[in-house]
Amino acid sequence: MPEDLFLDPWRRLLDGLGVDPWPELVGSGFLDLLRPEAESGAGLDLVGLFPLAFEVGRRPRAPRVLPTILARLEDPQALECPDAEPVLAAGGKDPAVVRALCAAVDAAQMAGAIDALQAMTVDYASTRRQFGREISKFQAIQHQIAVMAEEVMAARMAAEIAMAGAPLSVSLQAAAVAKMRCGEAALACAGIAHAVHGAIGVSAEHDLHHLTGALHRLRLAHGGEAYWARKLGAWALSRSEDAATLARSL
Amino acid sequence: MLAALVPAAIGPEDEALRAEVRAFLAERLAGVPGARRARTWMGFDADFSRDLAARGWVGLTLPVEFGGGGRSAFARFVLIEELLAAGAPVAAHWIAERQSAPLLLRYGTEAQRRDIVPRICRGEAFFCIGMSEPNSGSDLASVRTRAERTATGWRLNGSKIWTTYGHKAHYMVALVRTSGGPDDRQAGLSQLLIDLKTPGVTARPIRDLAGDEHFSEVFFEDVDLPGDALIGQEGQGWSQTNAELAFERSGPERLYSSTVLIDAWMDFIRSRGGPTESEAELAGRMLARLATLRNMSLAVTGQLARGESPVVEASMVKDLGASFEQSIPALVTDHLASVDGPVPAPLLATLDYLAGMSPTFSLRGGTREILRGIIARGLGLR
Repeated sequence: MPEDLFLDPWRRLLDGLGVDPWPELVGSGFLDLLRPEAESGAGLDLVGLFPLAFEVGRRPRAPRVLPTILARLEDPQALECPDAEPVLAAGGKDPAVVRALCAAVDAAQMAGAIDALQAMTVDYASTRRQFGREISKFQAIQHQIAVMAEEVMAARMAAEIAMAGAPLSVSLQAAAVAKMRCGEAALACAGIAHAVHGAIGVSAEHDLHHLTGALHRLRLAHGGEAYWARKLGAWALSRSEDAATLARSL
Repeated sequence: MLAALVPAAIGPEDEALRAEVRAFLAERLAGVPGARRARTWMGFDADFSRDLAARGWVGLTLPVEFGGGGRSAFARFVLIEELLAAGAPVAAHWIAERQSAPLLLRYGTEAQRRDIVPRICRGEAFFCIGMSEPNSGSDLASVRTRAERTATGWRLNGSKIWTTYGHKAHYMVALVRTSGGPDDRQAGLSQLLIDLKTPGVTARPIRDLAGDEHFSEVFFEDVDLPGDALIGQEGQGWSQTNAELAFERSGPERLYSSTVLIDAWMDFIRSRGGPTESEAELAGRMLARLATLRNMSLAVTGQLARGESPVVEASMVKDLGASFEQSIPALVTDHLASVDGPVPAPLLATLDYLAGMSPTFSLRGGTREILRGIIARGLGLR
């Protein structure tokens, strides 16, 4: 399994990056993950990329490395790329197909960020004491975190399924499900995480806002929930199958 | 922290069942209106259940030697998602097939397994579950219905309420107290198999807000039961019941309760020509949620197929699924209330039924609050 091969070194690399991460990233070879093996890349497909993108999302201070990895499909010299979409589109690819790929990779990072938000929130609620006990002992807190856990599972599932269709492309419908569902989950979970953390969560030094900030930024990128829901719904309404059949094909 | 769900796929052999089921349902349910289909697993039709059984579609995963189909959990997933999405009236055999037969195979006597399980698979033995009582709802451990040992078996007194089709079922699996008192909580509870024809049992239906009689009240007055009415071990009723609830909570019946309404609404939109942006958006939001929930439910089925007991995961899928199903009537109402011109009466009738009954989606099989408590425990918060 390519995941097993790359995941641990990828985690170690991300965790060890210094203040200027790019030379180290270039040296690691990871920026060429998706490039063909014949061109000294790793030939990784999207199934293999998913856990790596998820891990980037989980880290509050990780560099924005995914756009560069995607852009290198078109431009082998791409570095510190802020957005892969124009680079890939300039290579002559169908803009709708490019957008779907970028949106799905956004969703994978969002799923990771939501996962980390939940872990951070469980950890905080289990140590913060008020009224003489950990706030995790209050049912009102427990139920909010339970909702978060459901959203974490849903977001990850939607993003992971979207990356499992073809080696290096994502269908419009699968991208729509992933970006729509991860966007909804991001909104719900960012709200709960901040509510549970209280004032410390909006202090500059706390990591929470790096995660929720990334989620807000990724919701805006490459089409948000309404954008993708309209694409998906227009497709569904142009067909004659029932909802269960349509959902099964996604 | 919980491990992530692992996406699961249905193999071609199991997927092949789908076309056959769809063809049967297209013929058998032709002309049944949406409002009737919206009852799905609350709709009782013994003839329909027997027709399914004749095709081998009741007890699909149960062992062949007990009259089952010996198929995989994924084959059953295909079957039940088609039944539910089409709104087939499956209530008569649903509980017996889903949880009572597996329970009897695990804990029943050889005679019960040989006698009752094959009849379940033939669509001839229907079951209900005796859990709630007039003063015991979510606090199930407070049940007061009590069985005392006699020379020949058990004598049962008490009552159950909100029992789905208790007045039409042949048997009940009831959670009752066999020792101690309410202060002993989970200790002293046992599961009993009750033949509902036994003297002293009376059942009366309770009418619901839609005019249906799907649930009932069942009374036990000095009901003498044989010794083998005890299922499994005395005092283990609580853990046995919870293992059973994992089966009940994990299936696709937690996703598809409102799909009949989505279908009727989408057909209405299609009939009006090209959708507006807001119509497309609503269709897309509903579909993205449904597709994701289905993949989650499939992943939990994969866990069950691997012999795991995904109690927490099943609770998560049920809570999320019930919230989704419950949201549909309001979303459709919002849209229809913005439309100029007539809305088809059958669509309105389907909407009316689901708007009324959808609050039950987060009650049946464990309330939202109970499920979130289970999830919180799974996360180590309690």
